[in-house]
Amino acid sequence: MSPLLEQFLSEARDFLQGIGEKLMELEDAPADVELMTSLFRMVHTLKGNSGLFEFPEMTRVLHAGEDLMDAVRQGRVDYSKELADRLLDAMDFVGMLCDEIEAKGGIGATHAADSARLAESLRQLIATVEGAAAVAVAVALIKTVADVAAADGRPLPLADIPEDVRMNAYRQACDGAVLHWLDYAPAEECFFQGDDPFFQARGTPGLLWGSISARQPWPPLAALDAYRCALDFHLLSAAPRAELDEYYRYMPDQVRMVPVSPLALALPAGDPNGGPVYEDFVVDAMKLLDAGHIEGLGRSVHTLLELSSPYLWLSSALRWLLLLMELAPEDRKAFGTLIESLRHLKAPQWADHELDGTANTAASTIAVTAQESPLTPEEAAALQALVAVQREILNLPVAASWQMGRIKGVAAALSGCLKASGDLAAVPGLEAATATALEEAATAPLLLWLEGKFEQQPKSAVAETTAVATALATGHEVASERPAAALPVGAETEGDTKLGFGRRAEDVAAGPKSLKVDQTKIDRLMNLIGEMVVSKNALPYLAGRAETVFGVRDLAREIKSQYAVINRIAEEMQDAIMQVRMMPVSFVFQRFPRLVRDISRKLGKEVNLVLEGEDTEADKNIIESLGDPLVHIVRNSLDHGFELPAVRLAAGKPAAGTLTIRASQESDRVVIEIRDDGKGIDPMTIKRKAYEKGLIDEAALERMSDQEAVNLVFASGFSTMEVVSDLSGRGVGMDVVRTAVEKVNGIVTLDSEKGKGTRLRLSLPLSMAVTNVMIVESDGQIFGVPMDSVVETVRVPKSAIRTIKKSLATVLRGRIVPLKSINTLLGLATAPKANANDELAVLVVRLGDESVGLLVDDFRETTDIILKPMTGVLARLVAYSGSALMGDGSVLMVLNVKEIL
Amino acid sequence: MRRILIVDDAATVRMYHRNILEAAGYAVEEAVNGVEALEKALQAPFDLYVVDINMPKLDGYGFLRELRGQDFFQAPAIMVSTEAESSDHQQAYVAGANAYLVKPVKPDHLLTHVKLLIGVAA
Repeated sequence: MSPLLEQFLSEARDFLQGIGEKLMELEDAPADVELMTSLFRMVHTLKGNSGLFEFPEMTRVLHAGEDLMDAVRQGRVDYSKELADRLLDAMDFVGMLCDEIEAKGGIGATHAADSARLAESLRQLIATVEGAAAVAVAVALIKTVADVAAADGRPLPLADIPEDVRMNAYRQACDGAVLHWLDYAPAEECFFQGDDPFFQARGTPGLLWGSISARQPWPPLAALDAYRCALDFHLLSAAPRAELDEYYRYMPDQVRMVPVSPLALALPAGDPNGGPVYEDFVVDAMKLLDAGHIEGLGRSVHTLLELSSPYLWLSSALRWLLLLMELAPEDRKAFGTLIESLRHLKAPQWADHELDGTANTAASTIAVTAQESPLTPEEAAALQALVAVQREILNLPVAASWQMGRIKGVAAALSGCLKASGDLAAVPGLEAATATALEEAATAPLLLWLEGKFEQQPKSAVAETTAVATALATGHEVASERPAAALPVGAETEGDTKLGFGRRAEDVAAGPKSLKVDQTKIDRLMNLIGEMVVSKNALPYLAGRAETVFGVRDLAREIKSQYAVINRIAEEMQDAIMQVRMMPVSFVFQRFPRLVRDISRKLGKEVNLVLEGEDTEADKNIIESLGDPLVHIVRNSLDHGFELPAVRLAAGKPAAGTLTIRASQESDRVVIEIRDDGKGIDPMTIKRKAYEKGLIDEAALERMSDQEAVNLVFASGFSTMEVVSDLSGRGVGMDVVRTAVEKVNGIVTLDSEKGKGTRLRLSLPLSMAVTNVMIVESDGQIFGVPMDSVVETVRVPKSAIRTIKKSLATVLRGRIVPLKSINTLLGLATAPKANANDELAVLVVRLGDESVGLLVDDFRETTDIILKPMTGVLARLVAYSGSALMGDGSVLMVLNVKEIL
Repeated sequence: MRRILIVDDAATVRMYHRNILEAAGYAVEEAVNGVEALEKALQAPFDLYVVDINMPKLDGYGFLRELRGQDFFQAPAIMVSTEAESSDHQQAYVAGANAYLVKPVKPDHLLTHVKLLIGVAA
């Protein structure tokens, strides 16, 4: 993807976001002109940007949106919620297109219809029928960027191409191929964008020849930056232009394509010395040519060719002559030009040959090359248009305060035109006229000069410019002195003026203080620091060994004190890197205003959204995992929680409900609270429902507490809504939320009061990077168990363990806790080892709402580890959630408690 | 080296124009609105201004009027906008533009105008 396109996408997203926000704000203040204007400008700019690329689907919709906003801004159309809806839809569509462009590099053909439909629906809102034509214009305008034929007049270095390649190309051209010279200058930073310029160049369709050159003289090796592309590619291709445009469509700004006329390839090359120049041959050959005796000419060319060394310039010219005679026998003029060139051994002037169309042998003797012809026909046309514009400007009514500046501007423009067309002689005249005009503060003198200068010029522009070609060599030098003359007064001398519109504090745009970094880089840092934290833990072991094995106590002490330093730095570093990954929850909150608005409107409910604590931060992964559950919860609340306005009024509540989403940090956890003042959850309804669905039996129905009943909404397959609505209530409601939250070690709690409202609390860890595990020992091995799931550790006398229906259980604090041996769970044959007091070690873990005791041999310490997920073939071992490297270099396997139970 | 100031609030457009002009060898600077453009021009006047119309703080018309109001500025200016109406052209000329190009501008079209107004880059 070209940098330009990337820039476009990132800017487009910013605009879409901004447009969405502005539309929301406008809903509260529909008469805010300033808001309206900035909204219009955003849509307008976005449209303008999209026009730089070939995305007609996008431009069409944006153009319609712009027209609509323009109509609103001018008061022709009233702002309404429908209008905002449509505009938001349109922006969603554009956002979707952006995603697609980013993912696939282009827009699928299927969107054309949607685009047309959306644009049409926007235009329907504009009462006047000015729409369709404008769309056509916009679409026509887009068809531009691809052709970047920058003919800057420099002759192409065609002579660099070997003769046989050129001859081959010439043959292909005679068979109807169109030849193009390509200069491909890859962006310097292209390697970082995954471009492979060499591959790109090699793959050019119809490639006949290519060469590579250094963009600048090579710097000394030490100063060479190997990660920047410093090469230019020069290619000759016989593929059709459309194919080339398509191939280079992502980098039109890096490729210059110049059509090559076949004859331009006929450049004899070789040793100009050695070998006789047969003046006689030239004369004879011209005679034969004039007489139309082509066969005779061919024979004498063959003869001379046989007599001459093949490396001579002469021979090369003769070979070309023969090729031309073979492939383009009608082009006698070309033969003449080639033969003439033998006289001076100078390259034939094909430019003239094509320009004026009359076989003019004298022309080739005048040293006028394509390089010196100052203006192409297009430029000449643009010149005339520019001059016409300057005349129009001069004819404008006087503009009091800036009239003089305008005159000077025109003078500068005209002066540029004169220099560009090589008409230096006219510059003094222009300057005199300008001086008079400024003196009189009137445009008449300049107009007069214009009449005299340009009135007779129109058709002869090209001819005239060729005539002054000789003056041009000097013209370049004179022209380059111009900037100095253009700045007669330094900025400092105008101190007063500077105050008039100088720097104002609020205008100083603060430079971006933040840095966009690829997440993989942060992840890598995170991994590295993880390894470092672990390997530094090897130092205490080392100190221990120094003392016990080698008996050097002093060294052990020194290692320990050094360890303290390294430990501190590593911990700070880990903390710093984790800080980098922190993101504010506003990242997920920002979508809610729109979501709540859309859904409540659809349901005919009135809901005010209150967001609090948006700047609370948490790890990026946590924040991202929050998104979907929150959307689910909010939808649920809107769908099931809030009553219709009439119902609310009847219940003595305000018609508009309030939905509060609040984020806060509580020690090392982020807490998100979603509170509504809707109808709340009726435990009785829930119980009945659960019973009907077979989720609970009759006995449970009887003894279930209200809170337990409310928690049933988290059971999978539970939904209280009688009718499956469009929004939520597909039976995959809150259990999805609970699963998603638990996946990142979070906890969901719900409490609700019937008639008053519902409150959901999500408590999540700040970061997932470090996992606190308890190490347990069993059958001589150690295993890690995440502390999040550990409830307590107890030692239970063997006598207190009962066997109930072949499974073990014990009573702990008045509750029956089933016991499972970790050895059995992991398929180890050994029985759990009891300690000296005949007690078994029981690690009580939480499994959903239940507690389960794991029989292990012994407990060890708890420790912070960096959990690495199992990869490769090991990924299938679901019993483990990952592994971690311990300080002594051993590997700790961390159990996935849920899976093994 | 010819210096050109691109005044446009859209970063994409600035980059697009910059690419074209820099490829042709001009020295390019950017400003995101009229106010910033004036500040830059005051520091060191440019040889050419390529100006968008619709911008926050100070639009293209306003910028050119200010520019033309200071009589030490006499560099030509090209107005670039999406509006294709002739009344827009007229307004641009009144404000002090010397040429009016409709966005999106073809690279060679822009270059032709730049070349005519201030010559080639070198």
